[in-house]
Amino acid sequence: MVSISKAEKAYIQSSLQSDPPLRADGRGLIDFRTIALESGIAPIANGSARISIGRNAQDGGGGTEVVAAAKLEVESVGDGEGVDGGRVVCSVSCSPTAYPLLSPNALDDLQHDMTSVLNATLSHPTIRPKNLGILPGRKSWLLNLDVIVFSDAGNIFDAIFMAARAALWDTKVPRTKSVQYRAKKSDRSDATQAMDMDVDEMAHVGSALDTRQTIQVADFELPDYWDEGEPLDGRQTWPVCLTLNLLPTLQFLDATLQEEASVPLKLLVFYSFQSDTTPLLRGMRLLGTGVSDLVQVKSLLKDGEKYARNVWVALEGKLKDEDLRRNQKARERFLNR
Amino acid sequence: MPEITILKRPREEAVITQRMFFKKTARGKVIKVLRERYLRDDISCGIDGCRACNTTAQTILSRSGDTTHKDFPTGHYILPDTNVFLAQMDLIESNYFTPPIIILQTVMEEVRHRSLPLYSRLKALTTTDERKVWVFYNEFRSETAIVREDDETPNDRNDRGIRKAAEWYNAHLTLAHPPIRGQPKLALPKVVLITDDFANRQKAEREKIPCISVRSYVDGMKNSDQLLDLLSATGSDEVEPTRAVAGRTALYADYLPMSTLVAGVKAGQLHQGHFNANQFNYLEGTVPVPAFTKPVLLMGRENMNRAVQGDVVVVEVFDEREWKAPTDEVIDQEATLKNDDAEDSEEEGDDLMVHEHESKALRAEHAKKAPTEKQPTGRVVGIIKRNWRAYVCHIDSTSLTSSNATSLGLQTVFATPVSRLLPRIRLRTRQAPSLIGNKILVTIDRWEITSRYPEGHFVRTLGKAESKEAEQESLLLEFEVPYRPFGKAILDCLPPEGEQWVVPPKSAAIPEWRDRADLRDLIICSIDPPGCQDIDDALHARRLTNGNIEAGVHIADVSHFVHPETAMDNEAAARGSTVYLVDKRIDMLPALLGTNLCSLRPHVERLAFSVIWEMTVDAEIVDVRFTKSVIASKAAFEYGEAQLRKDDPIRLLNSLAQKLKAKRMAAGALNLASPEVKIHLDSSESSDPVDVEQKALHETNSLVEEFMLLANTSVARKTQESFPQTSVLRRHLPPPPTNFEKLQDILQKRKGLKLDVSSSGALADSLDKCLDPKEPAFNTLVRIMATRCMLSAEYFSSGSVSRDTFGHYGLASPIYTHFTSPIRRYADILVHRQLAAAIGYTPLHPSLHSKMHVERIMEVVNRRHRMAQMAGRASVEFYVGLALKGRNEREKEVTEDAFVIRTFRNGLGVFVSKLGLEGLVMFKRDTQFDAENYTISVPSSDVGRPDVTISVFDKVTVRIEVEKDKNTQRGRVKMTLVNPVDSRAL
Repeated sequence: MVSISKAEKAYIQSSLQSDPPLRADGRGLIDFRTIALESGIAPIANGSARISIGRNAQDGGGGTEVVAAAKLEVESVGDGEGVDGGRVVCSVSCSPTAYPLLSPNALDDLQHDMTSVLNATLSHPTIRPKNLGILPGRKSWLLNLDVIVFSDAGNIFDAIFMAARAALWDTKVPRTKSVQYRAKKSDRSDATQAMDMDVDEMAHVGSALDTRQTIQVADFELPDYWDEGEPLDGRQTWPVCLTLNLLPTLQFLDATLQEEASVPLKLLVFYSFQSDTTPLLRGMRLLGTGVSDLVQVKSLLKDGEKYARNVWVALEGKLKDEDLRRNQKARERFLNR
Repeated sequence: MPEITILKRPREEAVITQRMFFKKTARGKVIKVLRERYLRDDISCGIDGCRACNTTAQTILSRSGDTTHKDFPTGHYILPDTNVFLAQMDLIESNYFTPPIIILQTVMEEVRHRSLPLYSRLKALTTTDERKVWVFYNEFRSETAIVREDDETPNDRNDRGIRKAAEWYNAHLTLAHPPIRGQPKLALPKVVLITDDFANRQKAEREKIPCISVRSYVDGMKNSDQLLDLLSATGSDEVEPTRAVAGRTALYADYLPMSTLVAGVKAGQLHQGHFNANQFNYLEGTVPVPAFTKPVLLMGRENMNRAVQGDVVVVEVFDEREWKAPTDEVIDQEATLKNDDAEDSEEEGDDLMVHEHESKALRAEHAKKAPTEKQPTGRVVGIIKRNWRAYVCHIDSTSLTSSNATSLGLQTVFATPVSRLLPRIRLRTRQAPSLIGNKILVTIDRWEITSRYPEGHFVRTLGKAESKEAEQESLLLEFEVPYRPFGKAILDCLPPEGEQWVVPPKSAAIPEWRDRADLRDLIICSIDPPGCQDIDDALHARRLTNGNIEAGVHIADVSHFVHPETAMDNEAAARGSTVYLVDKRIDMLPALLGTNLCSLRPHVERLAFSVIWEMTVDAEIVDVRFTKSVIASKAAFEYGEAQLRKDDPIRLLNSLAQKLKAKRMAAGALNLASPEVKIHLDSSESSDPVDVEQKALHETNSLVEEFMLLANTSVARKTQESFPQTSVLRRHLPPPPTNFEKLQDILQKRKGLKLDVSSSGALADSLDKCLDPKEPAFNTLVRIMATRCMLSAEYFSSGSVSRDTFGHYGLASPIYTHFTSPIRRYADILVHRQLAAAIGYTPLHPSLHSKMHVERIMEVVNRRHRMAQMAGRASVEFYVGLALKGRNEREKEVTEDAFVIRTFRNGLGVFVSKLGLEGLVMFKRDTQFDAENYTISVPSSDVGRPDVTISVFDKVTVRIEVEKDKNTQRGRVKMTLVNPVDSRAL
């Protein structure tokens, strides 16, 4: 998002292509800048995280900074947009200070582009978490994942996806209990007996073919007000994004703004590694003015998978640390005051 | 330069510093709520002279605690668990219960969560001066604050917090009493955790925290005799598990869990409503629900399933083919269950006899009934909210075991509530013999499925039955009328001049005169019933030069003295209205206002709020204006006196009133009737009733009434226009036609008369036609019965209901409110404020802009209004009873004419119009009963003559006696038939 002169562009390109490749901050081609992650930063949300890439260690300034927060909302299925089993809706908004040079319209377009990439990947029905349903056919959770870009110092998509993954990891779904009233059969002889018979009937209803008695679940309740709930299902399915910046002969990772401006083509790959054997490609996207072919993409995917796994492992380790820090350790600290 | 640092709390401490919970809203949304928590070290323990705490802090608890308990000779404070307040509030509130109490914040919050009424009682307890109660904010003191563990239930967390606080207190006491050198070490007082939760007690014992159950604590107190009776039955489980509980058979079905009930109601399969017991038949009740036009009928004990009058219950409605009609028999609880023994029935094993009785009583349901009479029938499956309060009862003397009639041993007795709508209550007491013949207050604690009766405990004695004081207080309690004297905070809101207050001399600078019209020269007079002290309205009328007439209604300007959000205003809002009993008036506002400052006495200048119309001679309103004013009434008339006077202004007013009335009647207003009687008291001191007579109606009554109606309507229009969302109005919904079905049917069958209920006008016309040439009182009787079919009028906030339901059915007015009696009705005060704002006199108080706030007040006021009416009626009834008793003594036998208003299989409902008394004539054996035609046939008193048929609307003669129930000491009116047959033989 910065405009640079042709001379600058040529200079950056040639130094990347020199042997050994040279980058302005002295990194190797596949090195990331430092990534900082903190989860649970928005207490009122159901899950949240802040990530920054390449923040200046001395003054805490600079770098790409993204915050993601997940908020759950009850919606009814049937009327309106609600979907049985729940849904995830993502949106990305950019703080104007992140892109001071863009006009409001251009900023809107940019936000929209980012939203569509995120939404297409995370809202996909195949990775919908299983515990977003409340009452089958009646009520479900709508998960709003809002991502805010505070500043962009390059590699924004990786940051957005990392923040999104961390926020979803952090998300807890309040436990609900469905409550129902089962009308009993009418052939009763005596009121007190009928009450006892209720129990028997429940046992009889075992046959699923017996459709005469539909269970009428009408509402739900929160069994425990103080409990945050259980983690959102599918912690392992939320992908990470890896941006491969392509120059004709090489690819490099974690580009700064200047470097981004100097490459004609970027390939975004979204991977999730649910178990060690089967990495799943959740999607890919080519951005930029350059062209590519299938052969190149094929080899890029291979490399991408390798790099993405590194990011994945690092992120997962940190997320587990965060869980520990915020709960167990905080409590221990409280007891040992 | 001063250095400013911002103390930002690190987010790492979120677990400690934030309290998070979820809330489900009424609309089904889930909201996450976050509260900040600041832990501090300066929260005082509240003990006198504690060295460890801040010395400037206020302290309430004495230094050595209470030393009178035998288990804690070194002194102690008690720290009750939540369950103690939930179950034993009567004990805690008792004046005999004196130990210093420490209430934890955790406990307060739990009580609030579980029961709001108990919470407000607890709050009241913490603010009274007599009691040593200290609220300790344990969640905010850093040493006692706790964080919920993983997998810990909220309940366990709170219990842990309570134990932690108890532990801290005991450790803290050692700091508060440091050993003084040279003196022997003092034994320290203890903080004792009181709980009826066995698990919590076990844990506390393990943690070496002194703890004890409520019962064992009370046992060790010096005045345990009085206090043990106050123990609620709920807490006594574990102490006396001796009876074979498991062996008992369940008499009732269990309730469904609350969540299931709510779900069922939402899904429309279950129905929620208030339970109404049937006062003629204790085995029957009804629940009006929105889904059916007729209320749901509950028949028999099992189906009523432990519901008590006023409870909010959930009912399941049976299949339509199982629907039934209400029984047509009077079933009296006392008669049917006479032999049920309190001690015996605890076992409930040998209840065959009772069962037989009751099934016999219910047998009528098997009789074939016309399908039209059937109504939805169902059973109670759960209770949403119990509305149990303290009930006025008598002890049933037969339930005392004769052997220990004088002993002070613990025994189980029955208490019979004064109200016929309530079941008998079983209670355990040590003072049973001394309670006989007294009115006592009893609270219900629980109703187990294995127990035929609810169990309760004794609260206090009101006094000897039939003594005036006891009767009066029991009446006020029974109708929940707040009757305490006004407190100091309220009296402080009165003008400091007191009785000497006068309207200051006219001057622009004086606030009283700001924007006030000077009407002191007008000839204004008031017309009121004899002996009226709170004169809140006055009238005037004069001819104008253009030929029109100016008429004015002047209402005491109460809102000048009662300002919003003051102690006096809050009290008035809570009281809702003044309650008039025969021999006592319970004021809504302090008497200084009611009988002096706001009473428009003659020849005294008073502040008023005036409504002044310009009317044509035909009573067409040309113009109306509203103004605050100063008036000086020229005369105060009694109704009868004004009737005789009829000089110019009164004649003018009267002619207008007649035209107004004619117009109102033409518009379809109803002329309703309710039995109104007047009690003559011997003298004001003795207040022995001498006689009862029907109230005389003077023409001048209706004069005042017409103008008040007119003022109310005019004001309603004005305030509704100005504040369409929150104006306080009064409406009377048209009754559903089904309400009249029975009356229509009776009239048709018995008298061949038709009642057209399509509109209020049609009803008024057809009521006029309900005449029996031989019986002039017949029309009044029909009117009374029609009135009973109608709904009651209610206050509402104009923004809360749709515009087309504003109308007042009885008055046939599209809009109506109450403006004319601000001394005795709170709604009128609100209307005064709104009208003052509408004419730009004062800005409207923000609370009156809030729809929610107004709605809340309306709810209270409506309820109080209803209760006040019922209390007044009950008071009249009591005095009618006393008067009858007096007459019985003098005249040997009292007989009166009465109308039959209802027929039962075994009795007649009769109405004695002369006494305004409704009564029941019971036959010992069944009669030939024709439900279709509302007649019964009884054998004639002369042998050989054909049976006599009695039907509804027949005039009969009854003998009225007052007899004292031997068991309960409850005086009751007993009627027997004299003519056409003597029913004593039946």
